Amino acid sequence: MKSFKKYWSIFRITLINSLAYPGELIGRSLLIIPFMWIFYQLWKITFEAAGTVSINGMTLYSTMWYLMMAETIELSRPALARTISENVKDGSIAYILNKPYSFLLYQFSNSMGETIFRALTNALFGSVVVWWLVGPPPAPLGWLFALITIFGTWVLNYCITCLIGLSAFLVEDVSPYMWIYQKLVFILGGFLIPLSFYPPWLQTIAKALPFAAMVYGPSQLFVTPSLELFVNVLLMQFIWIVILGSTLVFSYNRGVTYLTVNGG
Amino acid sequence: MPSIEVNHLQKTFQTKRKAAGLRGSVRALFKPEYNSIEAVRRLSFQMEAGELLGFIGPNGAGKSTTIKMLTGILHPSGGDAKVLGFVPWKERQKLAYHIGTVFGQRPQLWYHLPAIDTFLLFGKIYEMDDRETKKRIAFLAEAFEMQDLLETPVRKLSLGQRMRCEVAASLLHRPKLLLLDEPSIGLDVVAKQHIRDAIRRMAQEENVGVLLTSHDAGDLEALCRRVIIINHGQIVYEDIVSNLKRKFLTQKMVEVRYAEEVSKDFSINGVEILKIGHYGVKLRFDTTKTPVDAVMSHLSEAGELVDITVSDPPLEDVIAKIYEQARETELSS
Repeated sequence: MKSFKKYWSIFRITLINSLAYPGELIGRSLLIIPFMWIFYQLWKITFEAAGTVSINGMTLYSTMWYLMMAETIELSRPALARTISENVKDGSIAYILNKPYSFLLYQFSNSMGETIFRALTNALFGSVVVWWLVGPPPAPLGWLFALITIFGTWVLNYCITCLIGLSAFLVEDVSPYMWIYQKLVFILGGFLIPLSFYPPWLQTIAKALPFAAMVYGPSQLFVTPSLELFVNVLLMQFIWIVILGSTLVFSYNRGVTYLTVNGG
Repeated sequence: MPSIEVNHLQKTFQTKRKAAGLRGSVRALFKPEYNSIEAVRRLSFQMEAGELLGFIGPNGAGKSTTIKMLTGILHPSGGDAKVLGFVPWKERQKLAYHIGTVFGQRPQLWYHLPAIDTFLLFGKIYEMDDRETKKRIAFLAEAFEMQDLLETPVRKLSLGQRMRCEVAASLLHRPKLLLLDEPSIGLDVVAKQHIRDAIRRMAQEENVGVLLTSHDAGDLEALCRRVIIINHGQIVYEDIVSNLKRKFLTQKMVEVRYAEEVSKDFSINGVEILKIGHYGVKLRFDTTKTPVDAVMSHLSEAGELVDITVSDPPLEDVIAKIYEQARETELSS
C-alpha cells in the first residue's frame, strides 16, 4: 500500500508539474485542430472520388472520429525515450537511482503524469473540431471501451519507449530508433489510415503486432464498440505487455550494471 | 560498527578511442578501440558511525565515482564495500532509506515547482507518514533558515538558497549517513558558511555521519574531523584535519599595498618575496618558521599600509606537496 502511494505521489507531482505552464499545454494541443481539418479535407475527397458513403464499413463520420482518437493517442505520448537517454547520457540518472524506488516504476508514474492532461486537452480540442465537421461523437459505450484500452496503449508505449531510451546504455543516439518506432505506429498502428482500409492480408499482419493494439484498437472501439473486438484488443495488449515488459525488466537489470555516470 | 567499510574498491571505465579525422572515424566504425581509465584503484578506508569525514582531491581524482559506488548507483569493477551493513549496488533501495545524498552539480528539487512539493514527495517516497513529514519540514526549515523559501518555485531561488533546500531535502528522512558531493560548489562565502553551519548542527544534534567531497579546503576546516586525500583513484594522505593543518597548511600568502612607492630591495628575514610592484608586494612565508606578528610588524613599519590580503595556498598546492612527500618516502624506502 505504502509503495503504491509512493508511485501515486510521483504521478501526482508530474501532473502538477505539467500544469506549471498551462499556456504551453494548451498551445501544444491546438496542433490537433489543423490536423483534423486536413484529414477531413483528405477523406471527404477520397469518399467523394470513390462515389460511396462507406469503405470497408467505415463512413466519413466514423473515419473522422477514429482519427480524432488516434491523433489524441499519438500527440499525447510523453517524450520518455529522449528523457531516459538524456538521463543516461548526462548522468542525472544518478539522482533517480538514489531514492528507494524502482527506476522503471518511477519512469512509468512520471510518464503517466505527463500524458494525462495532454490527452485530455487533445481530446477536447479534437472533439470540438470533429463535432463541428461531421456531427456529434459516438455512443458512450465507445468512450468507455476506448478509455479502458487507452490505458493498455500507454503501458505498451511506455515499454517500447523505455526500451528505446535504455538503449542509450549501448548507443550514443536513440533518436533514429524513435523515428522508426513512430513510423511503425503511423503505418502498422493505423494512425494515418484506419487499418480497416487495408487489404485483408496486411490487416492480419498489422493486427498481430503491438502497434495495432495501441492505436487501431482503442480508436476502432471508439467508433464501433463491440464486445468481441474489446476482448480481442485487451488480449493482444496483455500478451504484448507481458512480452515487452519482461524484455524491459531484463534489459534494465543488465544495463544498470554497465552504467557509467557521466560528469562530476 | 563502522558505517562505511571499503576494501580494495575499483572502478574502470571503458571509453571509445577514435583517431582524428574521417579516416579515424571509419576505422573506429569497424574496429573500435577502447581506452580503460582507472577512476578508482584498490581504494580501502573505513568511516565510523557519526564521523565527519572529508574526501578531497583535484578534479578527476575519483571522489564522485567513489560516492556513486557507495550509494549503489555504480557497480564497481572489483573489491567490496559495505555501507551501514548493506552492499550498496546489491541493496540500493534498502540502503536508500538510511542515507541522504546531495550532488552539488545536479539538482534534485523539481525545478518548476516550489521546494515544499518536492519535500512532500520525498516524504511519500521514504514512506513517512504525513504528520511526521510536516513536523520534519518545519524543523528543517528552521535549521536551514528556509521558512520563506519553501513556497517559491525553485527556479526563482538563488544558488545559495537552493543548495540549502537541497541539503535539507536530503535530511528529511533522518538518514544515518549523509553523502555530500561538492555541496558548496559555486557558492559565495556567506552561502558556504550558511550551509556549513546547518550541516554541522545536524551532524551534532542527530549524530548523522557525513562523508563530504570537496575541493575547497574551507569545507574541510569547517566541517570535518578527519580527511582523506585522493588523487588518481588512490589515497595519498589520511589523517585528522588538525594534523593536516599543522603539517601542510603552514604557508600563508600575503599581498599588501602601500600609499607610497615601494623600494626595489624590499625584504624581510625568512620571507619569500614573490613579486614587487610599484605600490604592492606579494610574499609567502611559513608560519612555523617565521612568526606571523614579526612579518606583520615588518610590513607596517615599511610604510603606510593601504590594503592587505592574507590567503592560504590553494588546496592543489597542498596536495601536490603531499604527493611529492609520498613519492620521496617511497623512493627512500
